[in-house]
Amino acid sequence: MSKPKVAFFDFACCEGCQLQMANFGEVLLDILNLVDIVTFREVMSEKSEIYDIAIIEGSITTAHDTERIKNIRAKAKVVIAYGSCATIGGINGMKNKFDLEEIKKYVYRDGAKQIETLPTRAVHQVVKVDYFINCCPVYPPEILKVLKCVIAGIPYAVPDYAVCVECKLNENVCMYDKGITCLGPVTKAGCNSWCINNGNICYGCRGMVTNPAKNGQLDILARHKIPLDWITNKLDMYNKPRELDEQK
Amino acid sequence: MQYVILKKVNFDDFITALAAQEKVVGPVARGYDNFSFQEVKSGKEISIKYIPTILPPKKYFMPQREKLIEFDKSQNKFEAVLEYDKVVIFGIHTCDLAGIQCLNMVFSDKPKDINYLVRKNKLLIIGLECNVYCDQYASCKVVDNHLPNGGYDLFFTELPDSFIVHVNTLRGDELIEKTRLFNPAEKIHLDQLEEVRKKKREIFKDEVKIGHHELSKLFDRAYDSKVWEDLDKRCVACGNCTNVCPSCYCFDILDNMNFDFNTGDRSRGWDSCQNEPFAKVATGENFRKTRGARQRHRYFRKFKYPVERYSRYFCTGCGRCTRTCMAKISLKETINALVDEQK
Repeated sequence: MSKPKVAFFDFACCEGCQLQMANFGEVLLDILNLVDIVTFREVMSEKSEIYDIAIIEGSITTAHDTERIKNIRAKAKVVIAYGSCATIGGINGMKNKFDLEEIKKYVYRDGAKQIETLPTRAVHQVVKVDYFINCCPVYPPEILKVLKCVIAGIPYAVPDYAVCVECKLNENVCMYDKGITCLGPVTKAGCNSWCINNGNICYGCRGMVTNPAKNGQLDILARHKIPLDWITNKLDMYNKPRELDEQK
Repeated sequence: MQYVILKKVNFDDFITALAAQEKVVGPVARGYDNFSFQEVKSGKEISIKYIPTILPPKKYFMPQREKLIEFDKSQNKFEAVLEYDKVVIFGIHTCDLAGIQCLNMVFSDKPKDINYLVRKNKLLIIGLECNVYCDQYASCKVVDNHLPNGGYDLFFTELPDSFIVHVNTLRGDELIEKTRLFNPAEKIHLDQLEEVRKKKREIFKDEVKIGHHELSKLFDRAYDSKVWEDLDKRCVACGNCTNVCPSCYCFDILDNMNFDFNTGDRSRGWDSCQNEPFAKVATGENFRKTRGARQRHRYFRKFKYPVERYSRYFCTGCGRCTRTCMAKISLKETINALVDEQK
């Protein structure tokens, strides 16, 4: 059996998630035993239009992007959304909070008229996605887990419970005990509470759990005297395009 | 019954001497009124006065993640794995001793859990008495765990100038002999211990509006209570309550395949009935879809089901679930609300 061909593509993103892959070191050799990488501009010059597995970094923000991702979907047997921008829209989604023409002028000033832009969408909001690797940047142990599932042809379920679960198992002191707001209670686990283990808060980069408790969360905000718009702003840093899922 | 005395001035030497020979863990302050059991090298690192740690000492008996099997498909080989560490655990409060007793019952039940039972025998347990309530969240009296009730090798009670230590097992006795810092207890010490216990009987009162024996009956009539609807609105399913519980023992089993796609391992990790996917089955059906139903299940798993199976409450009264709840759901308030409803 020939090895599956893997191609990396980037849309609106910083390409930092692909860098995580390039930084793998020795494990990369194990991966290369199992797949042929045919397109990966961050590490090689060769390119190929023939591939089985497409790993997509970045969100879809232009008409050109939309056409391009549809073409990739048509060619690939498996599409993996890779990183926050691809899985949930990520920080590019912040522009969805504003009027498009206004925000374009704010950013590009006189050059705005040459810029063509659409509201930010995650990859699954445009084409069918088979696997999701969340996080900003992607969490290396999870990349490996998902790649194994892809090669074995079995599904991967992103944990659909709060980051708090993994955070407690790591016995971190709760950020709320320290008087600091953290998005752990509404954010999907799977990163082993990576940020909190290292003294940072959860920014919600993995996307919200599918069934967040709206009333309960509002109670918590009220108790900690955290204004709603303040937490919404925090959530929107990564999660603004979630609204497009809710409209469906 | 054998009691010995350790002078307080010798406590640091005791832990230091012990830590020079074995791995010793004890309650360590983490700031913001949080504590956790951690490895220590001297007595100075230990907080003698502490409120229940973030995670109970359960983590040494049943680690958060534990390898069970290693396999090699190409050789058709499956081998059981037993990972354990010899550890002396200092400073376990009576609530957490009760938690360990609960786990012992569960894992000795058929089918016996060999990994748990072997590991348990490698752990030496030193209990530590709470002379007063740790805080307003504890409810150890109503579940009868405020006084020592076995389940330890040694048990420390703080007296004015010393610790009086109950030696409960041969292993505990050997440890005392080894350190040579203990003296036999005299009458004055036994009187002081009696004084501590007498005071405790005055301080510790049933923390809820119902007594020990009526508690399980309360839950016989609680299934359709409105109280669960209230919890449904408040709970955010963060899973903190079960993850910090000393008697929760649910786990999930996961296979990890290495990149050669032949070798790998099977491990288990803590799971929680509060997690959204916990009761979800292959067809997509979720048997406990609402957060209220999941909270009810948690309470029934402490106050009803284990009473029927093991004749004891699996709530140890440590108060961790209340302390850690993001939504401030209080165990004492929930029980009181059920009592009020049934009046």
